[in-house]
Amino acid sequence: MNYLFWECTTRCNLKCLHCGSDCSRDSSHPDMPLEDFLAALDTIKDPAENFIVVLSGGEPLLRRDLERCGREIRNRGMRWGMVTNGHLYSRERHMALLNAGMGALTISLDGLQDSHDWLRNTPGSFTRVGSAIELAASSPRLNFDVVTCVNRRNYSELQQILEFLVRKGVKAWRLFTITPIGRAKGRQELFLSDSELKGMLDFITDIRKKNIIDVKFSCEGYVGRYELKVRDTPFFCRAGINIGSVLIDGSISACPNIDRDFVQGNIYKDDFYRIWESGFAPFRDRSWTRTGPCADCKDYRDCLGNGLHNWQTGRNEVLVCHKRMLDRFQR
Amino acid sequence: MALKRNWARGIIGGLSFTSALFVFQACYGTPQDMMDDFLVEGKVTSKSTGHPIRDIRVSVADDGQFVHTNSLGKFGFYTAWRENMILQFNDVDAAANGSYASRDTVLNDLSDRVYVDIALEEK
Repeated sequence: MNYLFWECTTRCNLKCLHCGSDCSRDSSHPDMPLEDFLAALDTIKDPAENFIVVLSGGEPLLRRDLERCGREIRNRGMRWGMVTNGHLYSRERHMALLNAGMGALTISLDGLQDSHDWLRNTPGSFTRVGSAIELAASSPRLNFDVVTCVNRRNYSELQQILEFLVRKGVKAWRLFTITPIGRAKGRQELFLSDSELKGMLDFITDIRKKNIIDVKFSCEGYVGRYELKVRDTPFFCRAGINIGSVLIDGSISACPNIDRDFVQGNIYKDDFYRIWESGFAPFRDRSWTRTGPCADCKDYRDCLGNGLHNWQTGRNEVLVCHKRMLDRFQR
Repeated sequence: MALKRNWARGIIGGLSFTSALFVFQACYGTPQDMMDDFLVEGKVTSKSTGHPIRDIRVSVADDGQFVHTNSLGKFGFYTAWRENMILQFNDVDAAANGSYASRDTVLNDLSDRVYVDIALEEK
């Protein structure tokens, strides 16, 4: 393991239409006390040199002790970073987080003003995230990127978003599609059509050739002939292989957006690292995903059932198959 | 194309179990952080009295990163590693905690943790 998510809060100051965690202002879970997380972290024997803890949520900036959390992690020789909506990312907070050793940061921007504020379900959010992006991009210390969830409303704005980011000094941009989980489930306007998925991948391919910005498609799914055109490395879902997580209730799993039925243990009753070493069988042997349309797919060896967040209890087949969408369009 | 993909996948798959240095990005996470940094800590006191001075601004020259000393005159922050780093000490709160002359100091021979004791002269 060299990548650990910590779902440090499920409180959130926005109410995004596509939230995979279904977070809210008044989360039923209290924030996990730092000491509880550190006790789990301290079970890790000989962490890798580049081991990183990524604070996610909810919105991590709502934690008043965020800087202390980061500093305690860095004092243990581990790296740390944060995924944020940027709404509360002020100049003062930026400096305090850098001082606490933050080395990686991801901020979400989901379109130009109207489409961003619509998806984030909060008027004025675009203006605030624009300031946050400018601050983060100004820091040579941060390994910083912007992520965009591409949907039917912002699909036609990709070129303008690119220009906006370049003007702000952003060097890296990652594009996602939205998976029908959490609050996104059932909202058709959030999901790209087959032709739009292809169009987005063509856009990424084209921009990568022009070398304007380090743009890539996220590692959310296998995209057949677009592999290596839209990313630096081919698709490989690392959940449970290099990536672990401690979730808000102490659950031990991999990426936070993976179905909670995959939980392997709980830090409040298990030794975290022992679970990491001895559990995680369904993450490390994916042969169980060879079912439904995956059963006779000729690309299965390269895909292994797509990203694990696409597998949910009660479904015997993958939720989203990017490859199938692209094939459908071609036919 | 398929051959090229399989070749790359083979290497990456092998590395994922054996190498902690391999760089990747979780799909909903941040990039990894590979930059060298180090911890600068220290204490700022008055040259004449030896007492700690609070609210002295401690900054990294040509960078913009800064922190203020606390009531014990102490400070501490992580910053990107660089050769011959210049640390600047400035009294920025007017006369609130006394008035002190600014001072710069060069940090060299940096390890992953540096401690700096600085005494400032009263104006």
